[in-house]
Amino acid sequence: MNTLKFFLAGILGVNLLGVAAALPQATGNQAALARQSSIVFAGTVSQLGATSFVGVPKSAQTIVVRVDSVLKKPSAVSLKKGDNVTVEVKDPSAFHDGTQATFYADGWIFGAGVAVKELGHEFRPSGGETPKPAGVDEKAHQQAQEQIGDQELRDRLNTADFVVIGRVMDVRRWNAPKSATTRISEHDPDWHEAVVEVQSVLKGGQVKGNKVIVRFPGRNDVAWVHSPKFAKNQQGIFCLNRDQASGVPTAMVGGRQVTVYTCLGHGDSLPMSDVPRVRSLLKN
Amino acid sequence: MKALAAFWLRFLMLAVFVTIAGFVFVRGQSPSIKVVNLIPASLSGETNQDSEPFLAVQTVNPQIMVASAFTPNPFSASGNAPVYVSEDGGVTWVLSAITPVQRMTCDITHAMPTGENHPRGDLHAGTLACAASITLDESESNDVSSSAVMNVQSTRGNVDQPFVRALGISNSDHIYVGLNDFNQPNGHTATVDVSVDGGATYKSIPIEMRKTAGQDGPSVRPAVAADNTVYAAFFGWRKFNGTVATSDVVVVRDDTGGTAPNPFQALKDPSDKLPGRIVVKRVSIPWSNAPTLGQERIGSTLSIAVDPNNSSTVYVGWADHGSKGDIYTLHVRRSTDRGVTWSKADLPHTTIRNATNIALAVANNGTVGALYQQLSGSRWVTHVVQSRDAFATVQDVILANVPANTPTQQFLPYLGDYDYLLAVGTEFRGVFCANNTPDLANFPQGVTYQRAADFSTKTLTDGSGNPVAISIDPFYFSVPVKP
Repeated sequence: MNTLKFFLAGILGVNLLGVAAALPQATGNQAALARQSSIVFAGTVSQLGATSFVGVPKSAQTIVVRVDSVLKKPSAVSLKKGDNVTVEVKDPSAFHDGTQATFYADGWIFGAGVAVKELGHEFRPSGGETPKPAGVDEKAHQQAQEQIGDQELRDRLNTADFVVIGRVMDVRRWNAPKSATTRISEHDPDWHEAVVEVQSVLKGGQVKGNKVIVRFPGRNDVAWVHSPKFAKNQQGIFCLNRDQASGVPTAMVGGRQVTVYTCLGHGDSLPMSDVPRVRSLLKN
Repeated sequence: MKALAAFWLRFLMLAVFVTIAGFVFVRGQSPSIKVVNLIPASLSGETNQDSEPFLAVQTVNPQIMVASAFTPNPFSASGNAPVYVSEDGGVTWVLSAITPVQRMTCDITHAMPTGENHPRGDLHAGTLACAASITLDESESNDVSSSAVMNVQSTRGNVDQPFVRALGISNSDHIYVGLNDFNQPNGHTATVDVSVDGGATYKSIPIEMRKTAGQDGPSVRPAVAADNTVYAAFFGWRKFNGTVATSDVVVVRDDTGGTAPNPFQALKDPSDKLPGRIVVKRVSIPWSNAPTLGQERIGSTLSIAVDPNNSSTVYVGWADHGSKGDIYTLHVRRSTDRGVTWSKADLPHTTIRNATNIALAVANNGTVGALYQQLSGSRWVTHVVQSRDAFATVQDVILANVPANTPTQQFLPYLGDYDYLLAVGTEFRGVFCANNTPDLANFPQGVTYQRAADFSTKTLTDGSGNPVAISIDPFYFSVPVKP
């Protein structure tokens, strides 16, 4: 009898240890995982070593999970409660038929269904308990999504030579000097220049004369569709880098040669409402 | 009782017939012509301008195909740009992020030769990545269904519009990438990158030998025949004033797969004895990097196709200014003596006004096919024309007839600077882009959508019943080759 008690206690202990080992790790990483993940959903494992639609390579690492609730996804992706998702998991031995978990994942293959690659997971209490109300999770994940934006912005701020608050005083087409090599291509940027009056420097040294020239593509070609376009009197925050794109990195202003900057990436031009956020990110 | 049983049997047979007929003619689809919207069901919420399509077919197993467009990675700005993969002959497609470019390419073409033993799709691609500078990657995947990111074999900058053709010869893949290479000296920018070892090494071969206006036009198009004959067509720009290029349409040929000591110099023009046969001299080609033909830009439309079983027969199609009052006119010419002489005028039925995106292909039985898109009134009309007699008599099939003024362009190109046509056995297969309104009247041969679409209300939905805005989507098609 005592032997049986010890045996049962041992099984219980091992199981509890396993859950305990999984939960703190997952909980501790939850915010980071949510930041990294493009798709987060709660679901129940329905098949192991299987896939949910044709076109996904089946392996021992692929499992099929029925979606209980969607916590985060890109707007283009169709994913809803009851859908079957293929998840390529890191450790298939951690799952069995009926396992309930929150999956933190990145997109993988999109076809008749969605296939994702697991970045992490968090087991939900077993026994078929109802997942947390969607609103609670969504709130948490909305916060996480905001932090994702912050992370991308922080990376961008780190790589910028200057971050300034300014106003666009003038916009003009820039014609490369005859000495410069020009090429005719459908991806020709059709460079324009914005003269930006610097009102405040958030990153970088003092700007001589308080004006900088920012070169930007005027063309709406596919190559430049995500680059900011500037208009006269536009005010905002500008992430600037020394011009390495136009082939002529300087310009003459008032008889003196000045460095020219570019502002090419999506998110390199931000509205004034982002000033507190940018200041905070630069400070931290 | 017996009569009742017979009634039910007849009823059942009728029901089965109606069901089968319903499947065959689903959404008006003709049983022999297939048109499929490539956007998968799980991306029903997308509204991107998925323009500029391309297609590769695995020759030994034509069930496997890869298509591409300006489709961004659907879940990450830093993830890899995707391609569409079909393993069932184009019935269904998945989007898989396997190109080496971040987020979205700004040019991509590809081919699947069969020289190497990679039966699940040996894909060779030329991609442009556009950030602060434009970079070409020449890359390979040995299994397009594995979802592994393609292996970059060669990289360089300062080039434009890579156009990949390939052929398997003696257990190796011969790859030909036509491109406008601004690194070439003296403005001789028309170039073919040649690899005869599956992309392990490439040699850049300039194919322009005449004085240019500082450069050639963007389109450089190779065509490969089974006997190792390789042609390439390009626009030899002789003058350029910012809005009009005065250009020769030039064809070069190599009889040994581009490996001769002086490659691509087999054809010489009688006028100056220089390599490169001038098919047509000094045509005016409007260059407009703004909405000009409807919402589409124009300036470099070119295609070349060789008869796979008779490399003496080769067709060239291009667009120029055409006649007064016309914006952009297509033309097709033919040579039956390996490019030495060419038809003096356009082939019959091939002077096509206000049209672009011509793509030519020749089937095994010698039937020539031409895919093109014509602005007709306020509609974009996509045609596939076939002929057995150099377009003297033609079979014209309209695949799509869609509004040209919606949706509003997100960027240029609106539909693409090119589309694509291939001959595969007894089929012409290809891809084009069009307004994706789910309206059967827009697709005379019928159409199949993978994404959520309600044809009765002519609306797209996100899969949960919420409406989704109309956008430009890529469409795959298959049309039987005219016997």
